[in-house]
Amino acid sequence: MIRLEHVSKSYKTSTRPALDDVSVSVDRGEFVFLIGPSGSGKSTALRLLLREDVPSRGRVFVADWNVAKLPRRRVPQLRQRIGCVFQDFRLLNNKTVFENVAFALEVIGKPRHTIRKVVPEVLQLVGLEGKADRMPHELSGGEQQRVAIARAFVNRPLVLMCDEPTGNLDPDTSQDIMLLLERINRTGTTVVMATHDHSIVDSMRRRVVELSFGRVIRDDARGVYGVGR
Amino acid sequence: MRASFVFSEVVNGLRRNVTMTIAMILTTAISVGLLGGGLLVVRLIDGIQSVYQDQAEVVVSMTNDVSSSDQSCSQQPCSQVKQQIQHASGVQQVRYQNRDEGFQQFNKLFQSQPELREVARPSAIPATLRVKVADQSKIPALQQQFQGKPGVDNVVNQAQFLQPMFDVLNGIRNATFSVALIQAMAALLLISNTIQLSAFTRRTETGIMRLVGASRWYTQLPFLLEAVVSGVIGAVLAIGGLLVSKVALIDKVMAPFSSTGGVPQLGYGDIGVVAPILLLVSVAISAITGYVTLRLYVRI
Repeated sequence: MIRLEHVSKSYKTSTRPALDDVSVSVDRGEFVFLIGPSGSGKSTALRLLLREDVPSRGRVFVADWNVAKLPRRRVPQLRQRIGCVFQDFRLLNNKTVFENVAFALEVIGKPRHTIRKVVPEVLQLVGLEGKADRMPHELSGGEQQRVAIARAFVNRPLVLMCDEPTGNLDPDTSQDIMLLLERINRTGTTVVMATHDHSIVDSMRRRVVELSFGRVIRDDARGVYGVGR
Repeated sequence: MRASFVFSEVVNGLRRNVTMTIAMILTTAISVGLLGGGLLVVRLIDGIQSVYQDQAEVVVSMTNDVSSSDQSCSQQPCSQVKQQIQHASGVQQVRYQNRDEGFQQFNKLFQSQPELREVARPSAIPATLRVKVADQSKIPALQQQFQGKPGVDNVVNQAQFLQPMFDVLNGIRNATFSVALIQAMAALLLISNTIQLSAFTRRTETGIMRLVGASRWYTQLPFLLEAVVSGVIGAVLAIGGLLVSKVALIDKVMAPFSSTGGVPQLGYGDIGVVAPILLLVSVAISAITGYVTLRLYVRI
């Protein structure tokens, strides 16, 4: 599903490459934690997968797309198959829960009857049925993140990419979010999650890819965050 | 593409930056209005030119000798001059007007000014050869050729009396065009600025749109349409302004000239011809500016 082949990425402003000869492969339906300290290259890797950036060297594949070689006009097609969740939720504050989720479908031109059908379904999946008409500021942080996950998942992406999705949440709420991500993973969706959260990584016992200074220093099939960190 | 979505985005965008939107519309309106004013002056000039250039003649005044002795231009040197003019290139028709006929025409022209007719005597009016010219550009050569010939007192091109008026009109046209150009520059920058502001205030939306895979067109069209909509409103205001100034100003100022038929009146037809041009120019400018701004400055 995802394959990085000897990928390096350097930025003009930095002497050290953000990613240095990284090769990782993720199968369909896998759940992968991407861990490492700030500046280790986690976000850069996610940006390359989304084609927000292109690698300086190496190749990036998502599904069957050679991401770096994708013509500009086809980038939206790639992004429609990747869902994104962020630490800061990124909801539209002037829209209701329903409208926030529907927005993701509206802007890719989905017909209204489809939107009316699938948005309630996905709100039920994330446990927000009955809160469709609330505004984001009326929700707790955990609920807001559920809206963001619903928005990322509503178009049934192949991959769900989460950049520190629990970074702003307390441990209990984080646990709920992880359960939700696990449920989404069980539908066959590949989940890649960048995180700092030890307890979550340790409790989930999933594959862990650890980056340090832009290099892969560990790739465990059933890993923990690590001892002494 | 869902039209209702794009439409609501456009309306929201215009409403959110309402002060900038108004500034953008007004600047566009003034710029386009001035352009329209300039185009109307051009049409006026063309109208006046076609009226006068048909009627204007080259007038060859004969000397006093010829004027007093030759009633029908049958004697030398008048007959020879007439013949030569007839054969000169660009000349359409030559007509002899003797002193008596000239005096009658003078009386007719100054009918309303008896004090002038009082003092005028036939002997002060020269006999003339009235030359109709097909090709205006041949007039200077004609003047040079016959000025100072025996029997010829003076060669006058009537059209040159109109030149100062055309100079004034051309000056007005150039001035309106220049101000229109400067205003257009201001309008351009304002449109560009407003679009950038608009894109900035909606960066969360466009960021999400980009992430969920909305096409570039879907993301940018609302901004582009915002510019075009204000361009259209600006043009409509400008056309309205031209209509108002025609009724309230131009018609009143021009009334004494146009009532005699000397100067063609500025009609609704003229504005009708200019209006679509203004609309087109306004839409084109705002669309192109919007497109270039989005490409250069706004990452979507």
